[in-house]
Amino acid sequence: MSASPDDLKAAADAPVDLLDKFALVRAARDEMASHGEDPTRVVIDALLSPTEAMSDGRRLLLAGTNNYLGLTFHPDCVAAGQDALARFGTGTTGSRMANGNYSGHEALERAFADFYGMPHGMLFSTGYAANLGVLNALVGPDDAVLLDADAHASLYDGCKLAGVRVYRFKHNDPDSLDKRLRRLGQDARRALVVVEGLYSILGDAAPLAEIAEIKNRHGAYLFVDEAHSLGIYGEQGRGVVEAAGILDQVDFVVGTFSKSLGATGGYCVSPHAITDLLRYASRPYIFTASLCPSVVATVHAALDVVRRDRSHREALWRNARHLYQGLASAGFHLGPECSPVIAVRHSDRNEVIAAWQALLAAGVYVNLIVPPASPDGGSLLRLSVSAAHSPAQIDELIAAFNAHCGPLKPALVSA
Amino acid sequence: MPGTDDITAQLIRLLQQELDVVATAQTNLVDDLALESVQIMGFVTEVEDHFDIAIELEALADVHRLDELAALVARSLPA
Repeated sequence: MSASPDDLKAAADAPVDLLDKFALVRAARDEMASHGEDPTRVVIDALLSPTEAMSDGRRLLLAGTNNYLGLTFHPDCVAAGQDALARFGTGTTGSRMANGNYSGHEALERAFADFYGMPHGMLFSTGYAANLGVLNALVGPDDAVLLDADAHASLYDGCKLAGVRVYRFKHNDPDSLDKRLRRLGQDARRALVVVEGLYSILGDAAPLAEIAEIKNRHGAYLFVDEAHSLGIYGEQGRGVVEAAGILDQVDFVVGTFSKSLGATGGYCVSPHAITDLLRYASRPYIFTASLCPSVVATVHAALDVVRRDRSHREALWRNARHLYQGLASAGFHLGPECSPVIAVRHSDRNEVIAAWQALLAAGVYVNLIVPPASPDGGSLLRLSVSAAHSPAQIDELIAAFNAHCGPLKPALVSA
Repeated sequence: MPGTDDITAQLIRLLQQELDVVATAQTNLVDDLALESVQIMGFVTEVEDHFDIAIELEALADVHRLDELAALVARSLPA
């Protein structure tokens, strides 16, 4: 039995029962799945390589995994994880503040601080927890956060947990930031500017040199989330902060282990001595178990790979240029610049869902992004490129988009 | 300093200009205009720049109708 849209809206607007509000969610999910497979329920049964999986009896070419450097099966990382698993067991069963503080955690914090040339480093159990945990401890109700409008949900959630006043500025618009800091007057010195290095939906990098100049001029602080840019941008892979030349100006660099480093967890590094004190005020740091020793070991091994071997980074950028140029010359409307995150944009949600279904049926997995997760009310298919993709696989992706996503071109969304 | 009626009139003009929608003081920004929440948020940054004010994100939680946004703008203007 299915309720009419009016019934659903009435139930959601005036819920009588605790569970009434889920009617709209169920309807949205069922509508999405009615196009074919449910995009939120793809099951990976086996991995053949970092770029190929078996799902529902068929081979999938993976182009939506955030596995940028392709390190998930790197022999050094697997061996380090196996060794730590055998020596330290499956989990720490406790918080860093109690029994869960192992030598591996402290060594990885030092390694990250050393990588950035900063004195202080801190680990979190996920990238999401890193953003929540740093913001929760660093800012409070008497402070202000200046947040890029397209910032990740974890940054919005961190501000909410902190109870801080939040002012949004236009995405990647230094002038919009400058105006808002000016409006704060004296309070600008109590303001934290929160941006990402590389934005994960359209794959556009932040203008960090301009942003750093503005925050310096107003006496504010700068927090950069390098979730999608660690290991990818900068001469040594330290992210957009390095590529933009602001390592000596940024106040807090935060990131995740779940993308380029192929594991899970998060980190923060900073030149400020108070970083060690954040541990005592950060609920997402204190009230959760610390990272599993095997995860700490694979991340440390992956960081060592990033530091000594630039071949993955170079292969990633070759593949990104190959795919971006291939899709652009095929006539698709893409994000504003070439990066390992490539968005194929279109205004019609149903056309984008249909294209996603057709790609999956043809054995190609990409990410489907529809409002409200997309920035402009349009929809998009997001590809994440990996260093582990072969040139032939990139060609296969371009051919699949040409064969199955014709209705997405010519582009109808304005840039 | 403009009164709320004047602010409302300016907001109606801004909405037409930025999002090409026609509104009145009683218009519910989400339900009546079929706008995505991200479009509303984008509109609010235009409103901030138009009036040269800073609107805190949390203050928008109580804003549904255009006249409520006008009242928030009035409160945010320098005294």
